[in-house]
Amino acid sequence: MSRFNRSGVAGAAILAVAALVAVIAPLVISADELDVTRVTAAPWQSPGAEFWLGTDHTGRSVALLVAQGAGTSLFVGLTAAVLAVGIGTLVGIVSGHFGGLVAGALLRVTDFFLVLPALVLAIALSTVLPRGLGTIVLAIGLTSWPSTARMVRAQTLTIEARPFVERARALGGGHVHVIGRHVLPSVVPLVLVNATLAVATAIVAESTLAFLGLGDPTRISWGAMLHQAQLHGAVPQRAWWFLLPPGVAIVVVVLAFTLVGRALEAVVTPKR
Amino acid sequence: MRLASRLGGAALSLVMVAVLGFFLFRVVPGDPVVSMTRGRPTTAAMQAELRAQFGLDRPLHEQFWGYFTSLLRGDLGTSFTFRRPVSDVILERLGPTLLLVGTSTVIAVGLGLWLGVLAAWRRDSAFDRTTTGVSLTLWAVPTFWLGMLLMMVTGDLFPSRGMRDTDTAPDFLSQALDVGHHLVLPSLTLVAVVCAEYLLVMRSSLLEEMHAPYLTTARAKGLRDDLVRRRHAVPNAVLPAITLVFLRFGLVVAGAITTETVFSWPGLGLLFYDALTGPDYFLLQGLLVVTAGAVVVMNLLAELLYGVLDPRVKVV
Amino acid sequence: MLELRNLSVHYGHKRVVDDVNLTLAPGQTLGLAGESGSGKSTVAMSVLRLLPRTARVEGEILLDGEDVATMSWGRLRAVRWAGASIVFQGAMHSLNPVQRVGDQIAEPMRLHGTRGSVRELLHRVELPPEKARAYPHELSGGQKQRVMIAMALACGPRLVIADEPTTALDVVVQAQVLAVLKRLVAEQDLGLMMISHDLSVLAETCDELAVMHRGELVERGRTREVIANPRHPHTAALTAAFPVIGDPAHRWAEPGRTAEPLLEVRDLTVDYGRTRAVDAVDLTVGRGEIVALVGQSGSGKTTLARTIMGLRKPSSGRVIFDGAEVPRSGKALKAFRRQVQLVLQDPASALNPRHTVRAAVAEGLRVHDVPGDEQSQVTAAVEHAELRPASLYLDSLPHELSGGQQQRVVIAGALVLQPRLLVADEPVASLDASVRGEIVALLLRLRRELGLASLIITHDLGLAWQIADRVAVMHQGKIVEQGSVEQVLLNPSHDYTRALLRAVPQV
Repeated sequence: MSRFNRSGVAGAAILAVAALVAVIAPLVISADELDVTRVTAAPWQSPGAEFWLGTDHTGRSVALLVAQGAGTSLFVGLTAAVLAVGIGTLVGIVSGHFGGLVAGALLRVTDFFLVLPALVLAIALSTVLPRGLGTIVLAIGLTSWPSTARMVRAQTLTIEARPFVERARALGGGHVHVIGRHVLPSVVPLVLVNATLAVATAIVAESTLAFLGLGDPTRISWGAMLHQAQLHGAVPQRAWWFLLPPGVAIVVVVLAFTLVGRALEAVVTPKR
Repeated sequence: MRLASRLGGAALSLVMVAVLGFFLFRVVPGDPVVSMTRGRPTTAAMQAELRAQFGLDRPLHEQFWGYFTSLLRGDLGTSFTFRRPVSDVILERLGPTLLLVGTSTVIAVGLGLWLGVLAAWRRDSAFDRTTTGVSLTLWAVPTFWLGMLLMMVTGDLFPSRGMRDTDTAPDFLSQALDVGHHLVLPSLTLVAVVCAEYLLVMRSSLLEEMHAPYLTTARAKGLRDDLVRRRHAVPNAVLPAITLVFLRFGLVVAGAITTETVFSWPGLGLLFYDALTGPDYFLLQGLLVVTAGAVVVMNLLAELLYGVLDPRVKVV
Repeated sequence: MLELRNLSVHYGHKRVVDDVNLTLAPGQTLGLAGESGSGKSTVAMSVLRLLPRTARVEGEILLDGEDVATMSWGRLRAVRWAGASIVFQGAMHSLNPVQRVGDQIAEPMRLHGTRGSVRELLHRVELPPEKARAYPHELSGGQKQRVMIAMALACGPRLVIADEPTTALDVVVQAQVLAVLKRLVAEQDLGLMMISHDLSVLAETCDELAVMHRGELVERGRTREVIANPRHPHTAALTAAFPVIGDPAHRWAEPGRTAEPLLEVRDLTVDYGRTRAVDAVDLTVGRGEIVALVGQSGSGKTTLARTIMGLRKPSSGRVIFDGAEVPRSGKALKAFRRQVQLVLQDPASALNPRHTVRAAVAEGLRVHDVPGDEQSQVTAAVEHAELRPASLYLDSLPHELSGGQQQRVVIAGALVLQPRLLVADEPVASLDASVRGEIVALLLRLRRELGLASLIITHDLGLAWQIADRVAVMHQGKIVEQGSVEQVLLNPSHDYTRALLRAVPQV
C-alpha cells in the first residue's frame, strides 16, 4: 500500500516536471534552433559540452528536440485519453443502465471493437484521414474506448444491482436520479483511474503512429524523432544519443502515468 | 444452443469486419485515387481509368455488393502498388508472420504465466517487486524502440534485417539455422513486450483467488502450500487469465507490425507498413479485413477452449 | 480431547479473542454462539492454525494433549483433517469450483493414506453416488453442505468443527442437514464444536453451549439451562431474538382489530420467461395492519413484493391501493410510491456508502420535490426511527454506524415521506441478534403511533409470531394458507405450513 503511494507520488512528480518542460520549451526555444534549414551545427555530433545530447542528422540539438516533443506527446496523450474515456463512459453507462435492444447492440459493438487490435484500426484511420494532430487524436481516441466502456458497464451493473438503487427506485427516482445520484458518483473514481492509464496507452500509440510516419509532419514529437532516427540510419551509425533520449522520455512519462494510475486504483478500489 | 450462438456471434463479427473495412476506406474525405497517385505523374484520363478499374465510379451500394460478394469468394481486390491480387500478396507474406508471432506467443504465454504465478504467490517479495517493476517498465516501452535498442546493443551478433541471407546453402538445416538466427532479435522484442502483459494479467488473476475460501479448505485438509497452489489456486486463476491472453491477441498483432517494420521481417506487418506508406488502400483494406478476421476467429477459439477447460461454462 | 487455555488472538492492537478457556471431551457436542465479530470463528480457525499470518496467538491450544501452536509444519499437516476437520459454510465457495466434488472428498484420504470410499461417504450423508462426478455449481446449497460434511469425515477425525454450517440454507434444508450431522456425530462418537449466530440451531444440535461476546467467553453450561436461565445479559438478548412460536411472552403484537383494506392484491400472476414466479395470488393488508408473508427462498415472495411496489410488471391481475388500482407507470406511479415504502434486508447495502445519513433520508423528499423545510422533516423522521438526537447522526456516513443504526436510517428514509404502508423484505435477517428485538419493537411502535401498516416478507416464522397480525404462507408462487397468526402458526391446515413449522429448530 505505502509502496504504491510512494511510487504514485514519484510518478506524479515526474509528470509535473514533464508538464513544466512541455509548457516552457516552446517559450524559450527559438524557432531557428529547430529549423532544419537554419541550423549551422554539424550533424551526428555525439554528446559534448555544446550539445549535451548531441545533434541529429540535420545538426539540431537532440536535447532541444526532446524538450519540444514533450508538448506534442502529452497533448495527444491527454486529449485522446479524454476522448476515449468520454465515449467509453457514455457507452458503458447507457448499455449498463438501460436494458433492451439499444443496450444489446451497444454491448455487441463494444465487444467487437474490444477484440479488434486498436492499433491496426488507428493506423488505418490515420492513413485515410489527412495528416495532422487532430487525426492522431481522433484515430487513438476512436479506437481505444472499448475497455473503458466495458469497465464502466460492469461497474454500472454492479451498482444497479445494489439494494440502495432499488430503494431509490422504490422511492420514485427515475433514470436521471439513479444515474446522477448513484451510478455516476461511483463510476467517476474508476473512470479517473482508467483515464490515467489511457493516457499512458495513448502516448505509446502516438509514438507508434509517428514512428510509422503517420504523425503530424509539421510537429516535433518523440515518436517522430525515432521515425527520423530509423529513416536516417541512427542504428547502423551507433548514434545512441539520437535513439535513447526520445525513447527514455516516452518510457519515463508512460511509466509515470501507469504508476499514478495504479496508486489511484489502490485508493479507489475498496480493500477486501 | 450456446455453441450455435457463439458461432453466430463470430459470424456477425466477421460481417462487421467486412463492413468496417469497406466504409473505413470510402467515407474518407477526398478521392482515394487522387491520394494514392499523389506525387506521381498522372493524367485525368489515367485517374478515370483507375477509378473504373477499382469500381469507384459506381454507386456506393453497388460497390459494397461487389466488394462483399468478392470477399466471400476470397477475392480482396487488386493491390495498387504490386499490381497483383491482394489475396496473393497476403498469402505470400503469411508464413514469416506465423513463424514470428507463433514462436513469440508460445514463449511469452509460457514464461508470462509461469512468472506471474510465482510473483503472485510470493506477493511483495523481492522477486515479486522486481518482476512487477520490470513488467510495468516493459509495458511502457514502445515495441519498435525496444527493437531498435536491441539491434544497436547486439551489434553484429545477430542479423538485423530480413529473414534469411542470400548466400546460405540451400539444404534444409542451413536454411533453418539461418532463419532461426534471423528470428532471435524480432522474437525477443515481441516476447519482452507481450510477456510483461501476460505476467501482470496472471499475477492479478491469482491474487484475486488468493483469499478464496476453498484455499482455506485445502490448507485445513493438510495440503502443503505448493500443492494448495498447484492443485487449487492456479487451476482457478489460469482460466480468466487464458481468456485475457486471447483477448489481447490484438496486442501481438500490433506488436508484430512495428517489430517487422524495424527488422524488415518479410511478413504481414512489413506489408502493412508498405501499404500505408504507398498509400495502397486496397492492400490496406485487405490486410485490415484479414487481421481483424483472424483476431475474431482466435477469440472464438478461445471461447470454445474456455468452455472445454472450465466446467462452469457449458458451450455445447 | 480439545482444550483451549488462555487463548488470546490479536490483529495488530485489536484483540479479537480474549483469554478463552474451553474443553471438549470425545463424544461431546459444544455449541459456540455469538454475533458477528464476537471472535467465535477466530477460535475455530485457531484450532488448526488456519489464521492469517498477521494474527498473533497467545495461550495453548491442546489437541489430544499436544499444543497446536508449537507443532512443526509437518506434524501440523498430519493433524489437520486426520485429527480434527472443519465443516465450512459450503454454499460460500469453500469447495473448489473447478474440481469434481468426488475428487475433493478423496483428496485428504489420499494425502493422509486413509482407506475408505467416496461412495460410502456420500451414502452416509444421504447423497447418491453419482454426485461424486458433479461440480459444486451443479449442486444445491444443501447438497454442497452434505459434501462438506462427507469431506470432513473422510479421514475419520475425532473432532469436527462446524463453522456456520447451515447459515445460508432454508429452514427445511437446514433441518435436513442438521439431522445428518446429528446422526453422524452420534453414530461415530465424534466430538463436535459447532459455531453459529443462531441459538436455535445450536440448541437443536448441542448438549453444551458457550456464548462469546466481544472476544470473551461470557457464559458456558448445559444448553437447556443456559437458554432457560441466561445469566449474562448478552445471552438473554440472544435468546430473546429467537422467539418461541406459541409462547405468549414472545408475542409482541397487540391483539388485532379488524381493519378496512388498504392494499388488495387480486389474482396477481408474474412470469419470468417461462417460469411462473407468482401464481394467482390474493392478499390483503388492512389499514394499520401487520401482515407477514412467509416462505422459503424461491417461493416467489420477494417477486410478489417487488410487483406490489411497481418495480416489476405483473403478467396479469391487479393491485389495489386505497380503493384505486395502482398505475403501472408515469406520474401516478411515482405518487403511489410516496405512500408505500420499501425496507430492505441488508441495511449496509441499502444505503449508498457515499451518502450521509442526511442525504439518504432526504433522498425521497428530493425525488418528490416535497415542499417545506427539509432539515426539520429529516430530523423528525430520524428521531421517529429512534436515532436521538438526530444531529448526532445526520452527517455520518453509513459505515460509521452499526447495523441496527443503519436499518433505522433506512426506516427513517421511508418515514420521511409519511407513507401509509411499509413493505419490509427480511427487515431483521441480517441484523445481529441483540439489535433485532429493537427493530421489531420500532416497527410495532410506528404502527401504534402513526398507524403505519406493514407487509413483512420473511422466511422466519418466529418473526411472524412476534410481530404480525396475520400470516400468509407462500409456496411455489402460490399462497397456500393465510389467516390470523394464532390460526396459521398454531393450527396449520396446509401440509406445507406444517412442514415449515416442523423444520424450525426447537429450543
